[in-house]
Amino acid sequence: MTTTVSRREFLKLGGAVTAAFAIGQMLPPLVAEAARQSGYLNANGDGFIPSMCEMCVWRCGLIAKVKNGRVVKLDGNPEHPHSKGNLCPRGQSGLMNTYDPDRVLTPLIRVGKRGEGLFRKASWDEALDLVAKKMLEIKQKYGPEAMVFSSTHNISQPLFENLLYAFGSPNYGTQRSLCFNAMIVSNIMTYGMEEPERSYDKVKYIILTGRNLMEAISTSETHDLSFAIDRGVKVVYLDPRFTKTAAKATEWLPIKPGTDLAFHLALLHVIIQENLYDQDFVNQYTVGFDKLAAEVQKYPPEWAAPICGIPSETITRIAREFAAAGKYALAHNGWRTSNFVNSFATERAIAALNAIVGNWGTTMFPSSGEQSSALGVPPQPPFPRVSALRLDGVPWKYPFVPLKLGIFQELRDAIVKGDPYTPHGWFISRQNPILSLPDRNKTLEAFGKMDFIVTVDIFLNDTAWFSDVVLPEASYLERYDPLLPVGNKAFLRQPVIEPQGEAKSALWIYKNLGERLGLGDYFQYKDEEDYLKQQLAPLGVSLEEVKAKGYVQLPGEGTEGNIKYNWNTASTKIELYSESLAKAGFPGGTGWEEPPQPGPGQFYLLTGKVAQQTQFATQNNQLLHKYSDEPRLWMNAKVAAQQGIKDGDWVEVASEVGKVHIRLRATEAIRPDCVFLVPGYGHLSKGLTTAFGIGASDSVLHVSYTDPISGSQALTQTFVSVSKIADAPNEKEHKPLYLGE
Amino acid sequence: MAKYGFLIDASRCIDCRACLVACSVENNVPMTHTRIWMKETGVTGEFPDLERYTAPYHCMHCVDPSCVSACTVGALQVNKDGIVTYDNDRCIGCRYCMYACPFEVPHFEWDKQLALINKCDLCVNRLEEGQAEPACAATCPTDAIQFGKREDMLALAHERIKNEPNRYIDHVFGEHENGGTSTFYISPVPFEKLGFPTTHREESPAEFNRMTTEEGTPIIAGSVLTGMTGIYLALEHLQKKNPVHTIEKDLETVDSKKEKE
Repeated sequence: MTTTVSRREFLKLGGAVTAAFAIGQMLPPLVAEAARQSGYLNANGDGFIPSMCEMCVWRCGLIAKVKNGRVVKLDGNPEHPHSKGNLCPRGQSGLMNTYDPDRVLTPLIRVGKRGEGLFRKASWDEALDLVAKKMLEIKQKYGPEAMVFSSTHNISQPLFENLLYAFGSPNYGTQRSLCFNAMIVSNIMTYGMEEPERSYDKVKYIILTGRNLMEAISTSETHDLSFAIDRGVKVVYLDPRFTKTAAKATEWLPIKPGTDLAFHLALLHVIIQENLYDQDFVNQYTVGFDKLAAEVQKYPPEWAAPICGIPSETITRIAREFAAAGKYALAHNGWRTSNFVNSFATERAIAALNAIVGNWGTTMFPSSGEQSSALGVPPQPPFPRVSALRLDGVPWKYPFVPLKLGIFQELRDAIVKGDPYTPHGWFISRQNPILSLPDRNKTLEAFGKMDFIVTVDIFLNDTAWFSDVVLPEASYLERYDPLLPVGNKAFLRQPVIEPQGEAKSALWIYKNLGERLGLGDYFQYKDEEDYLKQQLAPLGVSLEEVKAKGYVQLPGEGTEGNIKYNWNTASTKIELYSESLAKAGFPGGTGWEEPPQPGPGQFYLLTGKVAQQTQFATQNNQLLHKYSDEPRLWMNAKVAAQQGIKDGDWVEVASEVGKVHIRLRATEAIRPDCVFLVPGYGHLSKGLTTAFGIGASDSVLHVSYTDPISGSQALTQTFVSVSKIADAPNEKEHKPLYLGE
Repeated sequence: MAKYGFLIDASRCIDCRACLVACSVENNVPMTHTRIWMKETGVTGEFPDLERYTAPYHCMHCVDPSCVSACTVGALQVNKDGIVTYDNDRCIGCRYCMYACPFEVPHFEWDKQLALINKCDLCVNRLEEGQAEPACAATCPTDAIQFGKREDMLALAHERIKNEPNRYIDHVFGEHENGGTSTFYISPVPFEKLGFPTTHREESPAEFNRMTTEEGTPIIAGSVLTGMTGIYLALEHLQKKNPVHTIEKDLETVDSKKEKE
C-alpha cells in the first residue's frame, strides 16, 4: 500500500501541541478585552473571573485568577452552593487540564489504521465538511437511526440532544446506566422525581450505603457531611472496603457485596414490626404501606444477619436508632448504584426507609432540577418523528427506563449483534466509552463495526484514539456553556482565557455541524454570547452583569418555608408498592433477590472512586498524577499471605471476559472475599502521555449484566481469580511524592 | 503585630490532597517537588476493627526558627507576620537548615546544580495580594486546615480538646515543640503514630546556632555543597533506568514501516 500523506503531515504529539499553543497566544486577546471592558481585569490583563468547574459533574463555582492572559490559580466561589468557597483536588488541578501538553488543538483526521494513532491536522471546514458528508451518506443509505449519538452529562447537552433529535436518530447513549440508573428509576417509581435533595443541616443519623463521600467528593456535600460528623451526628457506613469515609464514620459495617437489600429489608422489618414509623406521614403521603409491611414481615434481622455478615443485634439496634432519629434520619440513596441486578430493589428499600420515618422536609427535599422555566431558549421547529426502535431496547424492552437515561451497555451489545438493525456511524462527545463500558473487548468490537466514528474532546482520549475524526473542544476554562440553574440562581460558565489553538466550544461545534447537515433551524443563535443573551432575555438582565457576577438571580424559585409536595407518580403519592411495576410483570413491592456469588477461588471485583481522579477522564492531568496513589489491586492481607502473594507483587486478575496485570496492595482494609481495582486507569491511547502505561482497566474485566427494570449495569457482579506472576513489562514507574519520606 | 497561624485537625482530614494540589498551583512548585506532604497512620488494627488518620504537613513556622538561625547567608528569615520566608537568590545550598530543622521540612532540589529548597512561605504573595488565606486553607473542603491569628488558632485548638476530650489526645503539637511554632495540630492519636518527627526539645536551638553561624562558615559550606551535589548527580545517573518508549518513537516505527511499504 502506498500513501500520499507525507511524513511531515503526521501529527507529532507534543511538538505539534506546543506549536499550536504558541499560535494561540498570538491571537488577539478577546476574552481579556471583554473582561477588561467589564472591569474585572486590569490594564495588564490581571484579575479574577467567576466561572464553573468541569472536573466532575458536581460543577462547583470557581474564581479564576488570570495573569497576563494565563490562568494561574483556581479557587472555590463562596457564592456557589456547590463549592461554598472550596474546590477538591480535581478542581484545584483544573488549569493543568487546560494547559496539558497533550491537548488536541486542531481538528484531526485519521490516516493510519484505527487504533494506530496516526492522524493529520485539518481545518475546521475540512473536518466538519467530512463529518457532515459521512453522516448524510449514512442517513441516506441506512436511515437516520443508523447514526448513534452518545455523550456524558454536561451543560451543553441540550444542544447535543438537538443535534441527535433533529438528525432523527433515536439512538442516544449516556453514561447513566453505568452509574445511577438504579437510583434514578427507583426514585421515579417511588417519589415521582429523579433525585431528591439531601440536607445535612438538621440531620442526626445517617446511613450511607456505599456512598463514599470522602473519596467520591461532591465538594459541598462532602463538606456538609464532615461538619455533621463534627457535630456528633451518627454515621453508619456500609461498604466491603475500609474507605476514607469508613475511617470517618461512627460505625463501619463491612457488608457482603450484593446484600445491602437484605440489610435494608431487615431495618424496614424492625421499624414496622415495632411500630416505630411516622404514621401521620405514611397515612398522608404514601400508598402501599400494608403491602410493604406484609412483605418485610418475612425478613427479620435474624434472617438478614447470615446473608449480610452483620450480627442481628447490630441490625436491630441500627433500625431502632434510625427510627428514633425519625425525621432527622437520612438513608442516603447513593450515587453510583450500578452494583448488582438487585440494586434497583435496594434503592426501593432505601426510598421506603426514608418515607416511613417521615424525613421529607427535614433531611430530604424535592429537587428543583437543572432546568428553569424563567430562562429563555432560542426558537426552533419541532423535531422530526422517529419511527425506528432504539437499539438499547428502551422503552420496548425496558419500559421503565427514561429515554434520556437509556442503557449504554445494551446499545453497545446491539451494535455488536446488529440486532434489531445495524448502525453505521457514531458521534461521541466528551465521553470515553472504550474505558467506561464493561467488557472493553466487546466495545472495541463494536467500534470495529462502525463505518465512521467522530469524537469531540480536548485530548486524544481512548475513544478519540480509535476515531476517524477528532474535533477539538475548548476546555472549560476557555469556553461558554449555557446557563445552569442551581436553586434560585443560574450560574455561568465563561471563558477565563482565550481558547488555545483552534479549539472551539460545543455550542459552536454543534451549530456549525448542524448547519452543514441542513439543521440550522435547530441552532438559532449567532454565537455563544447570543445564545446566552436569548437565555437572559426574559429576565431583563445583561450578559455583562452576569459575566461580572458569575450568576443571575432567578425569580420565585427555591422559596423557603412551606414545601408543597408534588409526587409525580401514578397515584400522586409516595409509592411503597407500585401498581405500575406490578402491571408490567415486575415485583410491585420490595422483596429479596438473591445475588450471584463468586465460585471457589474467586473474588468479588469491587470498583469505586479515588478523591484525586474523575472516572476515566483525569488520569492524564499531571498535577493529579503527582498526588495520586499508584493504582493497585487491593486484596485482604491475610488472604494474600495465604496465597503467597506479597504487597507490591505483580498479579494477573482474570474474569470470564478478560484479564489484566497489576501490582497488589495487601491491606487489612477489605473483606477477604473481595478485591478492589482502582478505576479509571489502563488507558489504550498513547496520546495520553502521562496516563498511558499506568495501572489496569477494570472495564477489561467487567462482565455485562443489565437490570431488567432500571437498565443499570451490575458492575460488582463480576468475579475474578488472582494469581501471582513475574514482574510485568511495559509499565511506567509511578512514584508518588506526597508522603513524607 | 499579630502573627499568623494554622490549626490543622487530623480528625477532620479526609486525605483528599486538595491542599497539596492547591499549593503546587499557587506557588508554581515544580512537578518533581512538593511543599506539603501527607502524614498518616496507615490503616491500623485488624479487620474489621480498623482506624486511619491523616494530616497535611508543611513548614511549622517556628517562633524562633532553628533554620533561620542556622542559615549563614540570611536566605531564611522571619517576617513581621511570623512567616518563615525563603529567598532562593541568597541560598547557597549548604543544607544547614535541613540539619537544623527538627521537623524535617526543608527538602533540597537535588537534581539541580545548585541545590535550592522549596518550602511553605504561607503563600505570602497571596496574602499580600489581599486574599484572606493561604491556598491550602482556602480550599480544604472539610476545614481540616484553618488559618487565622496565631493566638486564635492556639485558643481554638485548646477549646476543641476541652470540648471533646474523647475525640482528641491532650496535646497541641506545635505549642511547645522547638520552643513554639505557628502551626498547631490536634489529633485523635499520638503524633508519633501519624509519623510526625518526635522532637522532645521544648526550646529552639536557635540561640546556640546563632553563636556559630554569626561567626560564619560560608566558605566551608560552599565546598561541602559542591561535593554533595556531585555525589547526588553521579548516583542519580547510575540509577537511571532505561528510558520508557515515547510516543514519537512509536510513531516513527509505524511511519518507517509505512515508507518501506
